[in-house]
Amino acid sequence: MNNLAKFTIGIFFTLGIAWLAFVVGARSQFGDLVPTSEVLDDDGSVPEDAELFPIAFSGIAKQGAEEYAALGCVTCHTQQVRRVEAGFDVERGWGKRPSAPRDYVLQKHVLLGNSRIGPDLANVGLREYSDEWLHQHLFEPQSIFPSSLCPPSPFLYQQIDEPVNTDIEIASNNDPQDNRHVRPTVRANRLVAYLQALKQDYELPEVSFVETEDEPVEEDVVSTDVSVASSSAPQWLQEQIDTGKEIYMKAAPGGGMCFTCHQQNGEGLAGQFPPLAGSDWVLGNKERLIKISMYGLMGEIEVNGVKYNNVMAPPGIPPGSLTDDQIANVLTYIRNDWGNSASAVSAEEVATVRASLKGRAPMQMFTAAELTTPVQ
Amino acid sequence: MAVDSPDKVIDRSAKLAFSFFLSSAGLWLLMAALLAYLAAAKLTDPFFLSSFEFLTYGKVKVAQANAFVYGWGGNAIFAVSLWILARLSQAEVRGSVFLIFAGVIWNLAITFGLLGIMDGHMSGHEMLEMPTEVWPAMLISYLIITFLALVIHRSRQVRETIAPQWFILAALLWFPALFLIAWNGLEINPARGTLQTVLSMWYGQSLVWLWLTPVALGAAYYLIPAILGRTIDKYYLAIFGFWCIAALAPWSVVHHLEGGPVPMWIPAVGTVMSIAMVFPIAVASTNFHSTAFMDIGKVWDSLPLRFVIFGTLSYTVSSYIGVVFSLPAVAKITQFTIINEFHFNQRVYGFFSMIIFGAVYFALPRITGREIPKAAKSFHFWTSTLGVLMLLLAYLIGGLTHGVLAGQPTLPWASSVIQSIQPYFLITKFAFIILAFSQFVFVVNVWRVIFPNPFAFFAEDKKEASV
Repeated sequence: MNNLAKFTIGIFFTLGIAWLAFVVGARSQFGDLVPTSEVLDDDGSVPEDAELFPIAFSGIAKQGAEEYAALGCVTCHTQQVRRVEAGFDVERGWGKRPSAPRDYVLQKHVLLGNSRIGPDLANVGLREYSDEWLHQHLFEPQSIFPSSLCPPSPFLYQQIDEPVNTDIEIASNNDPQDNRHVRPTVRANRLVAYLQALKQDYELPEVSFVETEDEPVEEDVVSTDVSVASSSAPQWLQEQIDTGKEIYMKAAPGGGMCFTCHQQNGEGLAGQFPPLAGSDWVLGNKERLIKISMYGLMGEIEVNGVKYNNVMAPPGIPPGSLTDDQIANVLTYIRNDWGNSASAVSAEEVATVRASLKGRAPMQMFTAAELTTPVQ
Repeated sequence: MAVDSPDKVIDRSAKLAFSFFLSSAGLWLLMAALLAYLAAAKLTDPFFLSSFEFLTYGKVKVAQANAFVYGWGGNAIFAVSLWILARLSQAEVRGSVFLIFAGVIWNLAITFGLLGIMDGHMSGHEMLEMPTEVWPAMLISYLIITFLALVIHRSRQVRETIAPQWFILAALLWFPALFLIAWNGLEINPARGTLQTVLSMWYGQSLVWLWLTPVALGAAYYLIPAILGRTIDKYYLAIFGFWCIAALAPWSVVHHLEGGPVPMWIPAVGTVMSIAMVFPIAVASTNFHSTAFMDIGKVWDSLPLRFVIFGTLSYTVSSYIGVVFSLPAVAKITQFTIINEFHFNQRVYGFFSMIIFGAVYFALPRITGREIPKAAKSFHFWTSTLGVLMLLLAYLIGGLTHGVLAGQPTLPWASSVIQSIQPYFLITKFAFIILAFSQFVFVVNVWRVIFPNPFAFFAEDKKEASV
């Protein structure tokens, strides 16, 4: 201890062993991971023509990663799904499987993070968020989650007085009159591209999807009119869509027989039955849809600018017999097929609407006018 | 003219460098306090100053940690280490000009580093967020200061070294090694994938364990016997404690990766080593407290020592809590929660800063020959105690709440989990206000002693200029 040189060697020796393990050892163990296919051949080689994962980010997403790092998002958001025995991450619906070291090998900034004041973002691209939704969230998270602590980033947006289609509408919590319109800057677009690219939706030889029974929680979202880009829907959503499709197509008890009028392709019949594909009614307010699915609809209705005048009996066999679950599923289906893409409808939402209509006589059909008049 | 005692000569030689580092440390402490308040205020009201991009939460939070660790911590380490090494070596501090030159570079580097963070050039590596452009300046200035500290140690009168010297020298030498390893692994030969995270976490946590912690322990090993006038009880254990920290701490810090996308042996070995850390913690705790409790009245009467013992108690408690939280069963709940804030603040405020305050209050009157009013020190002590305890309790209870609620997958995140911990953020905001106030008192105390009459100082300048 008295000889400075020996002392120095001693303290660097103890540090050096740890360095050997964590830097040199870890590097030789998993420093050379490369993308691979979901399943390997029996002899452990990558099958020919197999798609390799992870896939590299697009250029704009890479730029978004720089923005993400520069804004310090990692202070509150992790990007890692822990192993099932080490945490609740998969149960919470933050990923279909635990993250693996290989998932990150193509990323320049690996931002695993160690604090979760915000939710994990390793699979944010897998949740049913549209670009508009993400922009709205970045601009002002509190317009979606009123109790969010996420800092608003108005500096990434331009406030617009005379909006065009591509501008983002920021719905006000209180008064639709207060709705604002913003135009994303190129930085905001990069960030959104990056967030959409964050997904671990493939299996790897070393880790496969975790089977879950429970549907993950949905946040209490204020603005429910959120369209989705669900090219690869999470499992629970896919299940809802599949069950909904069965109901849509079924002409027997438990079915909705919807296809007889609206057709298998969702286009309806010109002049008689309105289309569901691309319909402003289907993609819009969920509550109206739920009401129609319970009580039916009669009289004049304008869909995508075209007027129809017909009677829609309450769906179900016998009419009006669909359960909350069935309504939720079939509505989720029609909002997510034929190019439609909107948020799912949950049985809880249906139950809420049903409770609010307590006392309404059965089979008392709605009119479009009744549904469009705002009710408090 | 009476001949000055050797200690006086040494103190005089240390005066310039000590005053420089301490006054800059004080300014960084205030800067960090301001940033801490901003960050806490933003967590209670996300709209607070939200339109300024450079003040967005992620940047402020990171800038605060960097200002605290490198600004306040770095400068305080330089000041206290130089003086303690000089005193123990019975050798004068030489090359003050170079020390101050290097100190100016260090401070400029951190200033530009923080500006870089706020301007959007954050690197994303834990505790190395400052843009890489300032890293060379930090390393070079640090090496100059360390070299001059080693020169003091080499010219020591007594060959035998004691515990404070081991801890302080080790800390001074470990930092550049850690820094170079991280620099190499993150920027020069960047590791791929999650290796980056392993390395940056290892660096960030080791910074606390191998840089801040040993300096504070060394200062405590020096101050407790110096003030009480008795030797450390069971001193023969100290060498065991020292080598335990040297051997175990670099391993234990990676347990934060539990369950993450890294090979399982990494967090596992971290957990095992964290548990083994009970030995060095017990040694330091025994050394400090069994000595202090022999004369507890004197501890209470001496304000510097009161600060130091608060720090050592805090060290003991926080380290044991750290051991418990590293167990996988507990980590499942506490990992990723604001318990992390509890750990960080417990270490840097409750332990490191409190001991540094004690060391400064002990050294400053000896170096400058001017006494700090007891009431001012006492006020600083009680406000610090209140602020630290409030802060830590809020983070601890809030963190447990955070973890338990997050572990229930049916609870929605923002509207339930995060809303439940929001009250604790409000408490931390008030705690940071109290701490800022307390640190302001500290800095005023220090500056009043270093610059007793700033206007006279300027007046002299003018006189010289006019001559």
